[in-house]
Amino acid sequence: MSVDITMIVDGERFDLAVEPRHTLADVLREQCGRTGTHVGCEHGVCGACTVLVDDEPVRSCLMFAVQARECTVSTVEGLEGEDGTLHPLQQAFADHHGLQCGFCTPGMLMTAVNLLDTVADPDRETIRAEMSGNICRCTGYTGIVDAVEDAARSR
Amino acid sequence: MSSLGTSPPRKEDRRLVTGRGRFVGDLQLPRMRHVAFVRSPIAHARITTLDAGPARDAGYRVFTQADLGGIVLRAQSALPSYVETGQPALAEGKVRFQGEPVAAVVATDRYRAEDGAELVEVDYAPLPPTVCAWLPPESPVHDEAPDNVLLERTFDAGDVDATLASAFLTVRRELTTNRHAGNPMECRAGVALFDPADRRLTFWSGTQVPHLVRNMIAELLGLSEGNVRVVAPDVGGGFGVKAVLYPEDVALCAIALEMPGTPVKWVEDRVEHLAAATHARDHRYLLTAGFSEDGTLLALDADVTCNVGAYSVYPWTAGIEPLMAGGLLTGPYKLTHYRATVRGVATNTAPSGPYRGVARPASVFAMETMLDDAAARLGMTGVDIRRRNVIRPEDIPYKMPSRLVDDSGHYDECLTKALDAVGYDDLVEEQQRRRGTDEPQIGIGFACYNELTGLGRAASAGPRMPFRTGHDACTVRINPDGRVTVFSGVTSQGQGLETTVAQIVADALGVGYDDVDVRIGDTDASLWGFGAFSSRQAVIGGGAAHRSALAARTKVLRLAAGLLEADPSDLLIENGVIAVAGSPDVTIGLPEVARVAYLESNRLPEGIEPGLEATEFYDPIRGAFAAGAQVAAVEVDRTTGSISILRWACVEDAGRAMHPQIVDGQIAGSIAQGIGGALYEHLVYDDDGNLSTGTLLDYLMPTSAEIPEMTIGHVERPAANPLGVRGVGEGGTLGPNAVLAGAVSDALGVKIDELPLSPSVVWTAARRAAEDRGVVDEDGGPDRE
Repeated sequence: MSVDITMIVDGERFDLAVEPRHTLADVLREQCGRTGTHVGCEHGVCGACTVLVDDEPVRSCLMFAVQARECTVSTVEGLEGEDGTLHPLQQAFADHHGLQCGFCTPGMLMTAVNLLDTVADPDRETIRAEMSGNICRCTGYTGIVDAVEDAARSR
Repeated sequence: MSSLGTSPPRKEDRRLVTGRGRFVGDLQLPRMRHVAFVRSPIAHARITTLDAGPARDAGYRVFTQADLGGIVLRAQSALPSYVETGQPALAEGKVRFQGEPVAAVVATDRYRAEDGAELVEVDYAPLPPTVCAWLPPESPVHDEAPDNVLLERTFDAGDVDATLASAFLTVRRELTTNRHAGNPMECRAGVALFDPADRRLTFWSGTQVPHLVRNMIAELLGLSEGNVRVVAPDVGGGFGVKAVLYPEDVALCAIALEMPGTPVKWVEDRVEHLAAATHARDHRYLLTAGFSEDGTLLALDADVTCNVGAYSVYPWTAGIEPLMAGGLLTGPYKLTHYRATVRGVATNTAPSGPYRGVARPASVFAMETMLDDAAARLGMTGVDIRRRNVIRPEDIPYKMPSRLVDDSGHYDECLTKALDAVGYDDLVEEQQRRRGTDEPQIGIGFACYNELTGLGRAASAGPRMPFRTGHDACTVRINPDGRVTVFSGVTSQGQGLETTVAQIVADALGVGYDDVDVRIGDTDASLWGFGAFSSRQAVIGGGAAHRSALAARTKVLRLAAGLLEADPSDLLIENGVIAVAGSPDVTIGLPEVARVAYLESNRLPEGIEPGLEATEFYDPIRGAFAAGAQVAAVEVDRTTGSISILRWACVEDAGRAMHPQIVDGQIAGSIAQGIGGALYEHLVYDDDGNLSTGTLLDYLMPTSAEIPEMTIGHVERPAANPLGVRGVGEGGTLGPNAVLAGAVSDALGVKIDELPLSPSVVWTAARRAAEDRGVVDEDGGPDRE
């Protein structure tokens, strides 16, 4: 049994037939080709699968695709400018070694996008608290905090 | 202009920050099918019924061990005490840990594969499980080892008994460390595709060791090794967990052989990962140490038991943790009289395997605890007793009692710099001020350690296995357009090897960093590499890149000399331009030289073959020790048992830092993992062998809210290898257990005998200390003094 849904993903319209049990993460990856969104725990803990649904951060492993019907979904793959310019957060993560293996990075970036959208002038303590729903196993977080701080300051 | 020593932008980053990484899970191929494993819910049982009928009747492909030809992985070692046991690709007859794969179901997508797995009927007759490695088993895990001991070895040097008998002070401790795991953010994953026309198998795998996997898969499946291609594309963290060939990997490839032309994909979920990927660090140390009155360590007697889980991990064997613990227990401390009996004991738990730092986060905790204990009894500081005993530069090369040779020796310098970085004197002053007040108490902890890196053939990793991991190969190819492609045997799970190898080749060849592209992780592309483990790649893979680039440079200069009618020894190459020394106007660009090499054989000088490529191996023969020290200050809340980290400093001798940003990132990340293991991460089995920390809701990894800001410093003492480098991948993990246990012990005046330092462990220790002083509150909490 499948359900027809429409989503706008990174500005592109998708008309999809999904099963009610399909998670948004799986549909983004398998049906929309958005493999940039990663699945790390499937329990909403690690944050790797974070995307923005109607501008709110969402664990796409905990949301069913049918719940995103008629929604606008933003993934890491929509951050880069059309001319190939990196989003300031993407550039800052590269500059500050805010990633090593890069598996958690898409979720980190989407959480950080939301952080910069919602907090005017975050200090390091705020950044550490706000980013604490995303687990990174490689960096020890210093580079991530540096990157978010830099991107926040230079906007 | 040297690239080494600077931090150019990583070659990996653009694809990774834009969501265009190439992870195994991202791979989609025509006709692809998906695999789910049926796993044992029971720790130890006979399989009485395994009925795939209902699942097959519903249209699923189901594979059991019998369907796959009964493939068994047997990790081999020539150690006399080693009991060789087998690990079936899928369980047959008996299951030995909860989560062990019993059958595999193939379907059109993962959801349906899991539906099919639920239809496979398995009945189990439970056997008494063994969970703790230091309790006698009721029913052995393997019939070949009735006492569950898979190997035991004694390291023996000097006269331990007589020295202990005459020592001024003897300290006895029993210490246990917590089972935890590498737990990379990307779980395991594989895609296998068998082409029956030419019997070629391609296996995309998130592995740290693609060439080893190729070798083992070819042997296990009876394929020609040249017809097996293993591709490790972007890999989302490894930390040792992915340096193992798992039964699921072998089963997946065997299934591909049964389903020719159909790519079969398995992407592990986190529940599977926590249950069935390798664990580590479940150890017990029984220690007796003798000291002289001035704090000199005289003798150490150790009995070390490592819980190696249900299987001898392939190919590293059950010896990986116990032998590392015994070989490096004495760490950076001078010692003559040393006896350590180490054993690996099988239990009905997930197999133990390599995890960043292999055994030493536990053994360093054990050793440092003995020093802290002795210091307290002798009225010395933790700093003084370490300075009294560390190997010093003038002792180098220092033969440790386990006969390993330490070539670093800068431990005191590392410690001193780390003390300065945390502001040690001010911390001690503040600590003294708070003593006897209601304020949270401050504790200061220390760890000195030696990270054994880049092991060559004479000191090769592992317990006398049928292979030696001392060498890697690299090919440097100058293309017809003069740009360079490197085919390196190294692999990367976040360490940035594409970047570092490009730097090495750019400098050795004399071209720009941006003109070098690096291909790694594909056994069809590179000649040979053992992969990522034992902090070996910067030293060994880096050495191979350096040597092959120099060999390519020699060919370039010979060809250029012919074209310029000059002597090769008079030529220089910088930034891709070859010039004649002393005649700056006579130059030729590398693109022109390369064009001649491939396209204009009419211009080839006499005696020079076409093409511009070189392949070289490198083996450092011995290893390189990296000295390190960490110091931290913590605040302990005696009411809740919680710990706040106030300051953290780490100073290491990484030799020459090739890409300082990557080096610091390795150190910071490994310290964070160490802190996780010391404070939060604990894989807990109940007495029946059920894993009670089976999701990330229960298995707690540290976040940005827990990991402190840290100061990372260096003493750069070049090692005796072509690049002067020492490995840095693991050292950071070695300190935090010891540092945090020492700091809590210092803050509360208690002994810490077990890890992790959960609030309940700390609170209980605080209460015990308060009871000893007769200041326990009526509500049961430790009263404030």
